[in-house]
Amino acid sequence: MNLAACSRVAVFLCTALLLAPSVRAADDYVPGPDSKPQEGVPKGEVIKGSYTSGEKSVFPGGYRDYTLYIPQQLDRSKAAPFMVLQDNGGYSAPVAFDNLIHKKEIPALIGIFIGHSRVKALNTNALDRFNRSYEYDGLGGEYARFLIDEFFPMIEAKHGIKLSTNAVDGSIGGASSGAICAFTAAWERPDRFSRVFSSIGTYVGLRGGDEYRVLLRKMEPKPFRIFLQDGSGDLNIYGGDWWMANQEMQRALEWAGYDVKHVWGDGAHNGKHATAVFPDALRWLWRDYPAPIKANPTASRRCRRLPLSMVSGRW
Amino acid sequence: MQTTSIVDGEWEVVSSGHKFTEGPAVNAKGELFFTDIPNSRIHKVNLDGKVSIFAEDTGNANGLKFGPDGRLYACANGKKQIVAYDESGKASVVAEGLESNDLTITQDGKIYVTDPNNKQVWFIAKDGSKKVVDKGLNFPNGVCLSPDQSLLYVCDTRGQFVFSYQIAPDGTLAYKQRYHHLHLVDGSMQSGADGMEVDTEGRLYVTTEMGLQFCDQAGRVNGILAKPQSAWLSNVAFGGPDLKTLYVTCGDKVYKRAAKVKGVLTFNAPIKPQAPRL
Repeated sequence: MNLAACSRVAVFLCTALLLAPSVRAADDYVPGPDSKPQEGVPKGEVIKGSYTSGEKSVFPGGYRDYTLYIPQQLDRSKAAPFMVLQDNGGYSAPVAFDNLIHKKEIPALIGIFIGHSRVKALNTNALDRFNRSYEYDGLGGEYARFLIDEFFPMIEAKHGIKLSTNAVDGSIGGASSGAICAFTAAWERPDRFSRVFSSIGTYVGLRGGDEYRVLLRKMEPKPFRIFLQDGSGDLNIYGGDWWMANQEMQRALEWAGYDVKHVWGDGAHNGKHATAVFPDALRWLWRDYPAPIKANPTASRRCRRLPLSMVSGRW
Repeated sequence: MQTTSIVDGEWEVVSSGHKFTEGPAVNAKGELFFTDIPNSRIHKVNLDGKVSIFAEDTGNANGLKFGPDGRLYACANGKKQIVAYDESGKASVVAEGLESNDLTITQDGKIYVTDPNNKQVWFIAKDGSKKVVDKGLNFPNGVCLSPDQSLLYVCDTRGQFVFSYQIAPDGTLAYKQRYHHLHLVDGSMQSGADGMEVDTEGRLYVTTEMGLQFCDQAGRVNGILAKPQSAWLSNVAFGGPDLKTLYVTCGDKVYKRAAKVKGVLTFNAPIKPQAPRL
């Protein structure tokens, strides 16, 4: 576009903005039909459970609740694709799954809505040890190891399901600390989690999460794709500025050549916007399934410089 | 929670001219006691600020804590003893044959003692019998209780984390896990975490190389108070009649600062704080 065309577009946009009636208040996000029960759509089974880790667990003595979503269309003869959601789910996920599975926009996947653990107090005059921040905000491979080596085998045995160990079938998501938790699981174990949904993600200095925006640019890209949602009204507190941090994550992911999509709004630190965009995020995350998800699919020019200018191929 | 929500004003010197200060502990009146390890002394600070010698030849006493019996318990590591002083300064042996650095005591008389040289934590029962209840931290140093006294916290001077354990009725420790995540000074692989204390809302205060780091109940550093001087920040306590004076021992001096939060005394009834939400 030449300069003159550019300025014509700018004038048009300004005029359009001035004339446009105010259609919505800030943070006023409304879920669409894919997040509401639709007639004729088979409903998945929702099963509630709880689990307490043993003394040898990475989260010893931790009690947690979970909910499983099992679609009617599930092919039990095969290992199933799945989506883990921290904080016991949200986003009207079972309904969104029902609708999108029915439309064949995502595969018939198992939903694993899992809570953080707490070590229950021995009497009513004491608090439980509250493990949410430790499990979710903490970097490193502990949470992924817990899921893969401890929790998945437990639910498989208890509920007669089989989860796929192929990365293309593994998806994980969450909000706030549950979002950085999902990111960390994929970052540590992209061989098992390749589709990440991140809403109002806590990529700030609570337990070192502020380092990801730097590591993303330096570390050889990993094979996962990620959908980011955040809003300008998000938190700005002692650990950091969520809205800025999410934008920095998006910029770093893009710079490093990741397959990343973002939806920014004007929401606060809540799940409204994420719930409204969840079906779109699912469609984007599961598009072209079951094609493998490759590292550096956009072959970012900058990324080719560092560190991929140093080596080629894989180990 | 920012630093300005925790304290007011600046650090003020409470006592100076010591070799190495440690072991700040507060009695029911809110009076402060502290140790000068190389000089083998325990000092007392009256509510009016007057400093006096409470005990000498303390066996290089390090950590101190008042017990539910009103006595002042001390880690007399030079004598390989845990001793308790009555109000007159007369010492009795509580346990012996153990190395020690710091200690804490529950309202029902359970004593926990860190033994960094042997990388272990001791439990001393009311009858004076002792046993090791944890092994394996690199340098277990500061030790304190959650305000409800259901959890024991032990910091690792040579690591990044404070560990959390659930206290069983028989005094043993269960479900050991890293919990509070501390900031490190660049170039250092260790926090330098030494002394610890909690407030009524369940925040944990940890003296470290970087300063006095305070964590929320979820274990995240919310703020860091700068050290009062460039010296080893060894320990922390809340004192004064309303437990709203924050004391630290740092090198050759003891300092205080007005606090907006309130400390707890472990010989009083446990306090159940509000549950964390995040």
